[in-house]
Amino acid sequence: MTLAATSAIDDAAAEARRAKRRSLRRGLTSFVLLAILWELAGRYVLTNKLFFVPLSDVIEAAARLWSTGELQHHIAVSFTELAAGIAIAIVIGVPFGIISGISRRFRDYSDLLVAALYATPLVAVAPLLVLWLGIGAASKAAVVFLTAVFPILINTSAGIIATEAVLIEVAQSFGGSRFQIIRKVMVPSALPFMLTGMRLAIGRGIVGVVVGEILGSQAGLGYLILVAGQSFDVPNLFVGVVALAIAGISLTFLAQFAEQYATRWRRVVLE
Amino acid sequence: MERLTVTDLSVRFGSLLALDRINLSVHAGEFMVLVGPSGCGKTTLLRVLQGLTRPTEGRVTLNGKPVTGPGQDRGFVFQQDALLPWRTVLANVGFGLELAGKQADGETVHRMIELVGLKGFEHHYPHQLSGGMRQRVNLARALAIEPAILLMDEPFAALDALTRQTMQRELLRICAAAGTTVVFITHQIDEAVYLGDRVGVMSPRPGRLVRILDIDLPRPRPDDVKRSQRFNELTSEIEEIIHSEDERKGGAT
Repeated sequence: MTLAATSAIDDAAAEARRAKRRSLRRGLTSFVLLAILWELAGRYVLTNKLFFVPLSDVIEAAARLWSTGELQHHIAVSFTELAAGIAIAIVIGVPFGIISGISRRFRDYSDLLVAALYATPLVAVAPLLVLWLGIGAASKAAVVFLTAVFPILINTSAGIIATEAVLIEVAQSFGGSRFQIIRKVMVPSALPFMLTGMRLAIGRGIVGVVVGEILGSQAGLGYLILVAGQSFDVPNLFVGVVALAIAGISLTFLAQFAEQYATRWRRVVLE
Repeated sequence: MERLTVTDLSVRFGSLLALDRINLSVHAGEFMVLVGPSGCGKTTLLRVLQGLTRPTEGRVTLNGKPVTGPGQDRGFVFQQDALLPWRTVLANVGFGLELAGKQADGETVHRMIELVGLKGFEHHYPHQLSGGMRQRVNLARALAIEPAILLMDEPFAALDALTRQTMQRELLRICAAAGTTVVFITHQIDEAVYLGDRVGVMSPRPGRLVRILDIDLPRPRPDDVKRSQRFNELTSEIEEIIHSEDERKGGAT
């Protein structure tokens, strides 16, 4: 049994790896095609450089901004604001999500409120936050926090609620305390949900950073886009947009990787 | 020596009388099986013994001390394997010890894994194991806390017939090796007779303990004991008790 089973697991794992590589190859193909299309459109179709430029111009602009250190600075500023906002959202959202998952009473009080706030596009209050907190990093972190905290809270709560009752009973029957049940059964069981919440939060947070920066800032990718737009500098504007796209993809991939790592225990299935 | 004593135990859920004045005592090292049709309250009884359900009347004592809630002096083997899917075999078996604040990957845990025949699978996850192997982990987890009594709630009900047979044989071997006292619940009469030193027959609505039979089959019990004349006599007797209880109540089942 052992040998056959082990080789079956190995085969399944190898097949999964092949499928993953294939998916990646196809995804990259789309990217290359889009890049070619962009270049051609910029050269032969939308030739007015006040409105559109080919990809090569954007790359050139990016290289120029990189060599002066400007691009790195903008990226660093935006990333710091995003990271700070997400970190606060996790620190607040996860504990409140856990409490909401455990306590019926807390849920009764908070559910409607949380649902309303989750549905409201909270970037709408960004101008207010800039007014309160100024044009520095604090207001952007606050926008990110507001947009990111609810998906984290809601998913954490859903994960805690979804904990299988029989697993809680196992811990109870071994004399586990309430705190042990939360820490050793509910939280690990909810972990994949929490990470999904964080992935969603990152997506929303990026929007929050850019909106915040466009409303009032002195640096960051949103600022780069704003200034470029006001001065009809289309290549620089696209540098900002593309940088955001790349940041979005990388962070989402990172979050996905974390999700997969945290759920590695259910990846290999024999049946 | 009496290990577990149940005195005039009744459980009522609203207007439903689930268990009616159960009296039972289990001796140290004994393998006690409770058999009965579904709805006879046997799982409720086991949950009361574990302290997961509170009795309406009566009491339970373990080694002379009253049972008031769950505790590490009893090991519970669940019907579903109920393993924590994010933990390896090793971490699952050590779970009970970990909750008690004891060393969860020490000699005891490894000894139990070896005892249930899972040596070499310590770092596998539950999803990588077959149903029978998962039940072995479930059993090892309950044994690892070295309980005064093992409570088993139809642990083999979800297994296929061949695996069930193997697991019954394995359970007898493991209990003999560990000197475990067991209360085992099942609705399968042949399983009850094969495993038990004594078999308590329960009847439904309200759940009563109708008779307790001594199973005088010699130990160790090889598989072919199931084809012996005595085995058939005992299973027939239990069948008749359950049947006559049904008729007495006019139950159409």
